[in-house]
Amino acid sequence: MVIVASTSVVAMVLCAFGGLAIGPFAISWTHILASLLAHLGIGHTRLTSLQSLVLWQIRAPRVVLGLLAGSMLAVAGGTYQGVFRNPLADPYLLGVAAGAGLGATIGIVNIGDGLNVPTWTPVLAFGGAMLAVACTWLIGGRGLRSTPATLILAGVAVASLFTSLQTYLQQSSTSGALTRVYLWILGSLSSASWHEVLVVLPYVAVCATICVVAGRALDVMSVGDIESRALGLPVHRVRLVVVVASSLGTAAVVSAVGLIGFVGIIVPHVVRLLVGTSYRRILPISLFVGAGFLVAADAIARTVVAPSELPIGVVTALVGAPVFVLVLTLRRNRVL
Amino acid sequence: MSVLEVANVTVNVGGSDVLRDVSLQLGEGTWCTVIGPNGAGKTTLVESMAGVRSVTTGVVHVDSHDILSLSERERARLIAFVPQNPIVPPGMSVRDYVTLGRTSHHGLLRAPSRADRQAVAATLERLDLARFVDRDVATLSGGERQRMILARALAQSTPVLILDEPITGLDVRHQIDLLTLLRREVRECSLTVIATLHDLTLAGQFADRLLLLRAGAVVADGPSREVIRSKELSESYEMGLRVVDVDGADVVVPVSNSSATT
Repeated sequence: MVIVASTSVVAMVLCAFGGLAIGPFAISWTHILASLLAHLGIGHTRLTSLQSLVLWQIRAPRVVLGLLAGSMLAVAGGTYQGVFRNPLADPYLLGVAAGAGLGATIGIVNIGDGLNVPTWTPVLAFGGAMLAVACTWLIGGRGLRSTPATLILAGVAVASLFTSLQTYLQQSSTSGALTRVYLWILGSLSSASWHEVLVVLPYVAVCATICVVAGRALDVMSVGDIESRALGLPVHRVRLVVVVASSLGTAAVVSAVGLIGFVGIIVPHVVRLLVGTSYRRILPISLFVGAGFLVAADAIARTVVAPSELPIGVVTALVGAPVFVLVLTLRRNRVL
Repeated sequence: MSVLEVANVTVNVGGSDVLRDVSLQLGEGTWCTVIGPNGAGKTTLVESMAGVRSVTTGVVHVDSHDILSLSERERARLIAFVPQNPIVPPGMSVRDYVTLGRTSHHGLLRAPSRADRQAVAATLERLDLARFVDRDVATLSGGERQRMILARALAQSTPVLILDEPITGLDVRHQIDLLTLLRREVRECSLTVIATLHDLTLAGQFADRLLLLRAGAVVADGPSREVIRSKELSESYEMGLRVVDVDGADVVVPVSNSSATT
């Protein structure tokens, strides 16, 4: 457990450093290190002003946003898997993706008239995501009387409704807008700025903390609703709090970076294979692994076909699936 | 002074009463087993007593507290409940599983305290589970599994213990082992136990008191020996039941309707 935890932290730091160092514009890693230390008041930076601009205004916010998004998606996925006792759960289970998709499509197609309107698209995506989750929560048993099954089914219904509305809007849009919507759905960190980092940071900080702290409650919930209540757990209230935290954090992330898939479902599973089934271990480690994984995926996405970029969702799936199979095989053969 | 008091409890599901005006008082250190045919309302009664099911009318008091007015945490400090088919999550260690019983003591934001860990260790020791502490719960045999589930309930350190069919799926030796263990705990810790059982012989041998339900209503309630020998028992099961004395123990033997009438 301690080895896995410390390895995941080191891996995350290395991925973040790699994210700063890798790119078409060469900056040596020693210069990056010196510049990082200079920001901490140690020594002086040796970067040119152009290098400094690329590092601190383009790459750094992108890496930080990647860390935030990856950690939130992984923790939210793990939390959903625990709270719904469903290994197939991901952060988009209750309609966050469909709601955000509809909101973003409205932003891009209607308000933006096919153009990217950075001010409105994230706001509408966030609103759509929260509206979809609220609908799911209300339909799936009016909140406090919900069960995992009713909520999941309500999520499926709401997601279908929102997706069909989104498809209708796309049908009536221009091909330019259609491409933009499609790219948004695949997710990207390319428009990252410090402004977005500052918008997303408080959501991720609060929501991910709530989810990680809820790990102990999720362990109790693994024995089912009736037994959890008999053990002293206010099951419905805990479910409400963690679903709100996971959904809010996911909605904030999705509104900034689009629908990045795979991180939320694969990272908690890989971590589970390594550290066992306790959410007290899975969630904090998923935080680091998810963060590192997404930054690494982004580094690949923006270098393999440079100067253009691959959608990050393609990379997370292409890299994530073999990694998951590898861990599963090693675990089965007791190598790990 | 009764530890547990059930007063005029009625539970209505879908327009019909599955439990009708049930009343019961149990003192400290009493073991009461609820018997009755399938569908008589045994599980509904014990779930109502445990506070995991709301009642239509009536009230359940434990230590003078109305259990439905308590928070889950307060209730879990008074009543430990094991349902008919407990969920045993694979991958969890026996120690972690039994430690779940301490949730109401340490809360959700704190790790188990030293006292919690000691209570778990003592329970594991008493139930002969100490050598399994690090084992995955999924690898235990049926008997070990049921003992572990009982250990979780005992680790809650509550005055009242409610068990719905605790010996389901066990062979006869393991059934008797588990009930013997439970009887020891009842005596040594002055526990008040409510259990449901299908085996009438074991129900009569191990409980101080039997409560016979039929179609949601109490048809017999009293010392085990009396209820086992009552005519209401055969009537409730709608078949002949004969009680045979074997070395001083009552053994309930089903007989066919034709021979029962002869």
